[in-house]
Amino acid sequence: MQVNLLYRPSQSLAQCWLQAGESVVAESGAMVGMSTNVQMQTQSGGLMKGLKRLFGGESFFRNTFTAQGGQGEVLFATPLCGDMAVLDAGHKQWCIQSSAYVASSPSVDVKTKTGGFKGMFSGAGLFMLETSGMGQVVIGTFGALEQVQVDGSMVIDTGHLAAWESTLQYKVGKSGSGWIASFLSGEGLVCHFEGQGTVYLQSRNAAEYGSTIGGLLPPREQ
Amino acid sequence: MQHIVKYEPTFSMLQVSLAPGETIIAEAGSMVARSASLSMEVKLNAGKNAGFFGKMKAFFIAIIRKIVGGETFFVNHFSSPQGGWVWLAPSLSGGIRPIQLAGNSMIFSAGAFLASAGDIDLKMRWGGLRALLAKEGAFFVEASGNGQIFVTSYGAIDEIQCNGSYIVDNGHIVGFDSSLDFKIRSGGGGLLGFMASGEGIVCEFTGQGKILIQSRNTSALVDWLTPMLPP
Repeated sequence: MQVNLLYRPSQSLAQCWLQAGESVVAESGAMVGMSTNVQMQTQSGGLMKGLKRLFGGESFFRNTFTAQGGQGEVLFATPLCGDMAVLDAGHKQWCIQSSAYVASSPSVDVKTKTGGFKGMFSGAGLFMLETSGMGQVVIGTFGALEQVQVDGSMVIDTGHLAAWESTLQYKVGKSGSGWIASFLSGEGLVCHFEGQGTVYLQSRNAAEYGSTIGGLLPPREQ
Repeated sequence: MQHIVKYEPTFSMLQVSLAPGETIIAEAGSMVARSASLSMEVKLNAGKNAGFFGKMKAFFIAIIRKIVGGETFFVNHFSSPQGGWVWLAPSLSGGIRPIQLAGNSMIFSAGAFLASAGDIDLKMRWGGLRALLAKEGAFFVEASGNGQIFVTSYGAIDEIQCNGSYIVDNGHIVGFDSSLDFKIRSGGGGLLGFMASGEGIVCEFTGQGKILIQSRNTSALVDWLTPMLPP
């Protein structure tokens, strides 16, 4: 699979070229366009896998696109404006915030992973995805993407996390010294990273954007 | 303190590195990431030299603002004895502009403030009816002193030099020099212009100084979005 990222950083579109017989797996609803010789199949990969994804803020189903009898092209995009990146899974494996997942090679297994009890409050870390196997993963974010090399430790707002190398140790916790201070600080929960590895950050926070715009809208009539 | 603004004008992000002992004060909720060496302290957004009554006043204004506008009234202080870095971003798509103050003062609409560093005093000022009609919220923030401030916008930020007078549509003001005076008036075109031009109320600035405007308008977005929503 060859992936070209077009119209970065605001209106990114992932253009995936498939060889005859080659497939790509994608989040449902991510497809923008495709050649007519590309066939789409919808799978949940089993009830439990589907349910787990559903809880993780993703959709129950994922779609597999396969090029039949020749080369084919599939285009993918995210609902919000933002940047995209292609991650190579293989010698490095990745943890991906579930809303950032767009598409992946079928040779990469993208599994939902629970973030534990603490992650339940984060809004971002309850479920995340972890890759295994070899291949490519396309992520899409809200806002610009910044690639950061963690060497030692770093603190990141959970709403701004897109993906990180699975070699990194992380702990979701409060942002300030106490719970009240953390609540007032408006930062919600943050992720403390330790170790060496790459982190992808997004410059905008979708939940914060939603509550800012939502707060300005008139209340719905009951 | 060193700073750089990346990803202008849509997804701008401010990256600040702090020398040992330096502090940056940022709007609540604006942090993207920080070095683990920095500590974060939450404080009420009162003036720098505010006494007890000043703090009480800030607290009451904070409560009113919370009720009226749902805005945040806490700020976060980032600092550390060994220095470090912090990245900040606003919640909407828009730009970030660094402004250096050297004894002068500027007035900003309430949502425009992102961060400040140095000897900057921030005061909440009641804007009155004209501020409400100008769709800039009931309160302005007045910044004065010596140091660096960072303001944000919805849309790109443009700087306009006002020589004598200048007109800005309501909802597009980010900030202006406090040497400027402003009043609200009809955009012109008589009653029809007032009702039908879509430019009903405008702000007229007089004097010498700079005005920062934003290329988009939050209330226009809300007005556009509201009828689209399901009941």
